[in-house]
Amino acid sequence: MREVKELTWKSLEKLKDPVKAFSNRCPLYYERYAGKEDEFGYSLETFAKWEPLFRFLYEEYFQVEIRGIENIPGDGRAILVGNHSGLLPLDGAMISMAMCNLHQNPRRIRYLSTDWFFHLPGLSNWVKETGQVRATKDNAQKLLDAEELVGIYPEGIRGVGKPFNERYRVLDFHPGFVQLAIATQSPLIPVATVGGDEIFPEFVNLHKVARFLQMPFFPVTLGFPWLPAPLMFMPLPVRWMINIHKPINLGYPAEKANDRKLVMKLTREVQYEIQRDLNKLLRERRSTLTGWDEAELDGELPKP
Amino acid sequence: MSQFLSNYRDFLKQATKSDKYHGFDVRALVRVEPMLSFLFHDWWRVEFNGLEKLPKEGSALIVGNSGSFLPWPATMLLYALMSSRVNPRRVHIVADMDWIKDERLFASFLELGFVPFSSANMKRLFAKGELVAIFPEGAAGLARPFSARERLIEFDWVKLLPAVEEGVPIFPIATLGCDEAIPVLTNLDSIAKMLNLPSFPITPFFPWLPFPFNLASLPTKWNMSILKPLSYEKAEDRDLIEETSMKQSQFAEGEIQAELNRLLRQRWRAK
Repeated sequence: MREVKELTWKSLEKLKDPVKAFSNRCPLYYERYAGKEDEFGYSLETFAKWEPLFRFLYEEYFQVEIRGIENIPGDGRAILVGNHSGLLPLDGAMISMAMCNLHQNPRRIRYLSTDWFFHLPGLSNWVKETGQVRATKDNAQKLLDAEELVGIYPEGIRGVGKPFNERYRVLDFHPGFVQLAIATQSPLIPVATVGGDEIFPEFVNLHKVARFLQMPFFPVTLGFPWLPAPLMFMPLPVRWMINIHKPINLGYPAEKANDRKLVMKLTREVQYEIQRDLNKLLRERRSTLTGWDEAELDGELPKP
Repeated sequence: MSQFLSNYRDFLKQATKSDKYHGFDVRALVRVEPMLSFLFHDWWRVEFNGLEKLPKEGSALIVGNSGSFLPWPATMLLYALMSSRVNPRRVHIVADMDWIKDERLFASFLELGFVPFSSANMKRLFAKGELVAIFPEGAAGLARPFSARERLIEFDWVKLLPAVEEGVPIFPIATLGCDEAIPVLTNLDSIAKMLNLPSFPITPFFPWLPFPFNLASLPTKWNMSILKPLSYEKAEDRDLIEETSMKQSQFAEGEIQAELNRLLRQRWRAK
């Protein structure tokens, strides 16, 4: 009887102080960022408060399979480039979770996100406090000069609102990230994410409603405008796979950032690398919900 | 025959001068021309773009995605180049044909302008200034399941090696619609192995219906577009050649896939 009481008390304590629980679980991450001022409004308290939810999604709900996490450097500047997906952009959050929980030198990822999030009354502070930064050239340059890990989804908001029949068909990348990489001499790390495009199957995008509500898109999904509030944001339990490629050191001098032809070519190369990897992962996948065969993933069985 | 002569005069002038080492025969084309024309204009209503990008003379390589079940994109390319008013040219289609054991079938493919893949064959064609087309997905592309339609399988970079060695311009060509024309439901590997075939796809028509009908296809709308040539530098060093070839085949694959994505978006979002 006594024991049970103690247990409940302890769990209540944990609930009361999520930061303490977080510091016990991820001491390296906590030490790295505790008590440090951040120009863009990052707050470790908010991150610690919300981390359990996203960790649940990562570990239990989506059962994310991650490959090549060691390709992300523990220190120094780098740019993560990926394919965007999934109406609610959970793909970035999933990589953040992996960096926080699985990496040897856990570190935060600063995603450059669209202005729209920063205009939302309820959400703008939360977005800032969990590490997102308004996507401008100056901000990105500042972050990279501070040796941060910057995440960019060059498809932009169009990539998030892909209809279901266009899933895993990468839109043409905006060349800004290559310009940034050359100008700041930072390596590019391509990331291919499979699973994100199927968590919210978007059947129709109602442009007129979106324009009226000043939203980037207004999707109609299985749950979205129909069900009551928390249920409409309920994703499908799709198995995820995140494949992080080897870093690409471009090796061009900083003046080359204005060479449009070169920048465009490098952009296309990165885009095609991600698209090719998506095609390969989709080909190897057995089914949407169960994902890949473990033995096949480990390379034990020959592929069909 | 006389009708053919008057319709395809420019093409015939070109074809008579072209390389016939493998047994190309214009009479075979005369025989199949009505069928190709029907398929091109009436059945698939092929929309062909970018033909003017190809050089009028001199060698070039066309790299494309192969459709499912039968190599129809190759024959449609053949017909498009043959019937063009602007730039009629003969195209040699290089393919892996070792698995065709039946000699008559093999010969009829050669008569149409198919050439068995080998580095020597391709180099000889380039030296003679011929136009060559290749579909580097190979047999895997023919057995592409319907669920993976319009998703490319990795290109075999070795097939681009002869072109890169000779410094021939490479033109990617994207074909939309060929994967939906014959939906491949599944691929039976065990039967393919038993019959010594590269793949044994099951389609709504294939093993079920009697002979001419099992090769039937659906009247989907096709869209073929030749893209701008890849830019690369001719290298002398062997390692450099291989690296260039690998990079260019990946880039060509990416270009084709991106073009397919663009065309699909156009199709789905058209009002």
